[in-house]
Order: sequence, then structure tokens, then C-alpha cells
Amino acid sequence: MRSLWCLLGALSLAAACAPQPARNKVTTPGSARAAAVPHALVVDFRDGIPAGEVAERAHRWGLPLRLNSVEGVRSGIAIAEGVDDVDAALARIKGDADVEEAEPLVQMQALAFTPNDPEFPKQWNLRMIHMPEAWEVSHGKGVVVAVIDTGIAYEDHDDYVQVPDLAGARFVAGYDFVHDTDHPNDDNGHGTHVAGTIAQRTNNGIGVAGVAFEARLMPLKVLDRSGIGTSADIADAIRWAADHGAKVLNLSLGGPGYSAVMERAVAYARQRGAVVVCAAGNAGLGQVSYPAAYAGAVAVGAVGPDGQLAPYSSWGEALDIIAPGGNTRLGPGNGILQATIDRTDFRKPVLAEYQGTSMATPHVAGVAALLFAAGARTPDEVEKALFAGAQSEGAWTPRAGHGRLDALGALQALGKSAEPVDWAPLIWSAALLGLLLLSLKVKVRPGYLNVLLNPATLLPLLLSTVGLWFLKLLWQRFVGHPPAAAEVLSLPIPDWERILFGRGRLASPLMYSALAPAIAALLAVRWRALRPVVAGLSLGFAGFLLYAAWAKAPGIAYLPFTFLARPWLVLNGIVAALLARSMLRREARR
Amino acid sequence: MKVRGSVEFRDVEMGVWVLVSEDGRTYQIAGGRSSLLKEGQRVEVDGDVDDSAMGIAMVGPILRVRSYRVM
Repeated sequence: MRSLWCLLGALSLAAACAPQPARNKVTTPGSARAAAVPHALVVDFRDGIPAGEVAERAHRWGLPLRLNSVEGVRSGIAIAEGVDDVDAALARIKGDADVEEAEPLVQMQALAFTPNDPEFPKQWNLRMIHMPEAWEVSHGKGVVVAVIDTGIAYEDHDDYVQVPDLAGARFVAGYDFVHDTDHPNDDNGHGTHVAGTIAQRTNNGIGVAGVAFEARLMPLKVLDRSGIGTSADIADAIRWAADHGAKVLNLSLGGPGYSAVMERAVAYARQRGAVVVCAAGNAGLGQVSYPAAYAGAVAVGAVGPDGQLAPYSSWGEALDIIAPGGNTRLGPGNGILQATIDRTDFRKPVLAEYQGTSMATPHVAGVAALLFAAGARTPDEVEKALFAGAQSEGAWTPRAGHGRLDALGALQALGKSAEPVDWAPLIWSAALLGLLLLSLKVKVRPGYLNVLLNPATLLPLLLSTVGLWFLKLLWQRFVGHPPAAAEVLSLPIPDWERILFGRGRLASPLMYSALAPAIAALLAVRWRALRPVVAGLSLGFAGFLLYAAWAKAPGIAYLPFTFLARPWLVLNGIVAALLARSMLRREARR
Repeated sequence: MKVRGSVEFRDVEMGVWVLVSEDGRTYQIAGGRSSLLKEGQRVEVDGDVDDSAMGIAMVGPILRVRSYRVM
């Protein structure tokens, strides 16, 4: 009878977790408005009506009827445009036995804000990240975004001029760390271009548009006329921005040299509640440059209008997200267009098309500002929404990070603060328990439910497969913002290291291994009472690792070749399963 | 240090001149006379890599040129 229970349990649970839902996110605008199309109507004939009969009716009713699409042959949906009197035509049509429905043609239009800036149609980059739809939700109002760069052409001062399209844009006081003055004007053109993508004056009838056009820009000049600066000035500016109320820091700069001073500055800014967004680099190599590669920074790679990683864009283990940065190899019009100053004469405003991860970064910074304005409170919330809302093929990859930036997707993801619990590892563990019990001789086999419902086994099983998912939710409901410990306990044990150090990038092969159950099993040799606990832990790890191998997620850091990741997971899953089996048997022998 | 290689112009950011060394490394050229900056020119550059410098180009280490000779 017991073995029957085991078999039934194993089969039903294995069946329950068989299909793996596709992880592709499809973004749809939140709502739509409808408007009647003048002089047009739609007729729904009976399904499968021959095209000849539709043509015959068109002739009889004197209407330019045509099937709506290739599908129209099967669905029987036809439309007529250029109808003088739609109501009279509908009255004629409705008596026909072959007509199921007839009505005026209605155009459904997604809710979207189209700015009147004359060059906006050339800004493919803003359409790619669904800005027209996102502008219906947020303009980034009031959020301070620091542009740590070559300065911004934001005022008429001495020889410097304001770019006309920035007139009326909102600025807060900044600083020039290169010349030590209070006038961080741009003598290069790079910083103004970047600032324009973030918060260009929009819907003002001139030039181009920007992502978060009601945000406030903080110009911080750390790079000289040739676009080069020191790590000391940059670290200084990062701290200055965080201390002066900036919620988003844009660093479209970098280099290959590690600097502990700058890493500490990035950590400081994040601790002060700011999101630090940095360019991944333009070396086209599998290594992200600094400061993007520091923990606490959002590393941004670049894509062209085709959505493919641009040939110059760096990528790698530290990459977080990709965003439009242009690809001029595809021809003119494929760079990022913005208002700035001429690179050879900083007194001359121009519209210029550049490409680079510098151009991709301000898209992410701008969307971060939209998220803060829409109610996000912490850098963590902003980053989670950015990553969860990104367009992706599934799990994180070194060439796309969490996917391609999507402003609307990010705003929609912000509303769903709690991440859905992935129950599959627990289901795999439960199914595995049935199989392991079946493999034991009847004499040493405990009952399925006796094992599963023993709290000493169930708690470590839950912790290692799904985490105490309810802890964070309860905390948010009754206490407020959960502390780091509650966040960590809300996740399965193998992911603890990722949340503490890596924020959901690659997993450590030590955490994603049978190491923890093996150490626990050694302890259980000495202390027999631990056996039910170790059984639950091993079973959980086995289910978690085997499921991870089956679902091809996530990438494993430090392994020399990525193709080793799945064999590693399978091998360790089997070891954990064998540990669980021995713990289950020994317990039963007593 | 001395680096031999060829001078190239890369169209990223505001445009940047680089030195691609014979062992395949890419350096961002900083300083040097304009006669150095000719597409495809083979040169030997005497200069220093500035580890504390960062910039908008992000194509590789910044090489501050002291002198160079055309090969």
C-alpha cells in the first residue's frame, strides 16, 4: 500500500511539473482608446464564405468590400472604405442571411503620447524602448539625475552657450571638478548629448525628445575637453551627487583600471538611495569596463536598431541590461540623435548622431527616473523593475544581461513588487522523494507523507527549494520595507549568495552544488538527530539543482566553459539525491 | 614603454584615435601631434599607460604619448 502511495505521488507530481512555460515577456500597452474610422464599415460573414460570394454582395450593395486579410477567407471578415453613407449601407447589409454582424469600422489606438518635436520621428531609439506608451504613465517629474561627464551646455556663460533645445529644461546646481568652478559647462559635446537623451526639452516644437523630460538635471563636469578625466574627480563627483539629492547617477564613461576609491564611492551612492547607471564600454570584448563592473552599478550594453548587440559594445559577467546605443555600420540614421554642441566648436549648437554604450546608458538612467517618479523608493526596487520589465528570451545572459530595456515594461513591473515564487524545484524534490523511496527496500522505507510532513524535514526542504517566500510578503504587509535578512530568507538557499553579492547575475558553482548537503551529512554522522534535517536539505538541493539543469538556468560563474554548467548541476543533483536517499534509509532503520 | 602598431580611427562616441599594437591590444591615444593621427599609419610610440584615467571612449587603456616615430 505504501509503495502504491509512493508511486502515485511520484507520478502525479512529475506530471504536474512537466511543461515549462515560455519565459518570453510580451509587452502590451496598458489600455487603448477607440475611435470610429470615417466612411468605413466592417462585415462579419458566416465563416468560410467563398470569396466569389463576397464579391457578388459587394456588387449588389454597391460597396468596395474586400476580405480583411488572408485569414478573412476563413473568418469571413470583410471591410469597406470610402462609403458615403455608412448607416444606410449597414441597413442594407443587415438583412442578409450570410451576414452575422455588420458595424462601423473602429480604430483601436494604443494609449501613447507622441511629442511634437520635429526630429522625433528619427528617434527610433525612443520607440524601441516604448517611450510613447511609457510617457502616458511617467515623465520623471522632479527626480534629480546627475550627469557625470564633460558638462552640459546648459547656460549662456562666458564663451559657453546654452543648446536651444535645452531652454526650459530643469537643472539643479552642479559642479565643474576639472576647473573647480560652479559652471560645469560642456566643451566637448558628449555630456550634452547624454543629458539630452535623459531629459531633453520635449514637446516644445523644436529639435528632439528625451526620456524623462520632467526630471531635473545635475551637471557634473569630470572629463576635460578631450573626454578624459581622473578616477579621483569621478569618485568625488559620485559622492557629491549622492550628497546633493541625486537619485540617479549617469556615468557614460569608463576605463579598464580598477579603483578601490571609485568602487567605494559607487557603494556609498547606492547606500544613499541612488541608482548608479554606467556604460559597459566600447572595446567590443567580453569584459565590462569600470565603473560599470563594480557591484552596485547597473552595467549597460548597447544595441543597434536591429536589436542586436552593437559590434563595439562590451559584454560579460557584469552586464546587467542592454539599451539602444546605435550602430552606424547599418548606415546613416542608425545612431542616436540628440541636440548638443559641435565637437570642433563648443559655441555652435548642432543635432548630432553618435553611437556608443555612452548613448545606451542615459536611456536606462532616464527610465530609472521615470520609475522613481512613479513611486519606486529604493535603488533595489528600480533595478528589479528595470530587469523584470526588460525584453528577454529568458534567463540572464552575458551578451544581453537581463534583456533589452523597455520603459513601459519596467513601469508595469514596478506595480508587481513581489516576484512570483517558482514552485518547480519543490515539485521536483517531492517527485524525487517518491522515486528515492521506491528505490529503497520495503523494510527500510519510511512512508511518503511521514517524511514530507515531518517539520524537521519540511523546513530545510522549503528553505532549499523555494525559500520562506511568505516572510518578505508578511514583512511588507505588516512592518514595512523588509531588511536584507528577510529578503535573503525569502529566497532558496542556493540563491542566497547571489542576492548578497551578485544581485541575480551568475550563480556561484559552490552554492549551486552538493557542498552544503555534504557538510550537513558529515555533521549528521556525529549527531544522528540531524538526519531528518539533512534529508530535507539534500532532497531540496537535489530537486533545485536538477530543475536548474533542466530549465537551463542560471549561468554558473567561474566555470571555464559555459557548457560545463549543466553537467555540473546534474552531477551535483545526483550526489545530493544519493545523500538524501542514505539519510532517509538510515532514519528508517531505527 | 614602447608600443609598436598601427593607428586607427574608431567611430564610437565622439570618435577616437587608437593604437592597435602588434600583439593585438587596443590603446586610446592621448596627446601626440596631429601628424601621428593618420589612418593605417604604422608607428612606434613611446609613452605611458595612465591607469588612473578614464574617459568617454572606453576602447582600452589610455596611452599618453611622449614621442613616436613612423615605421
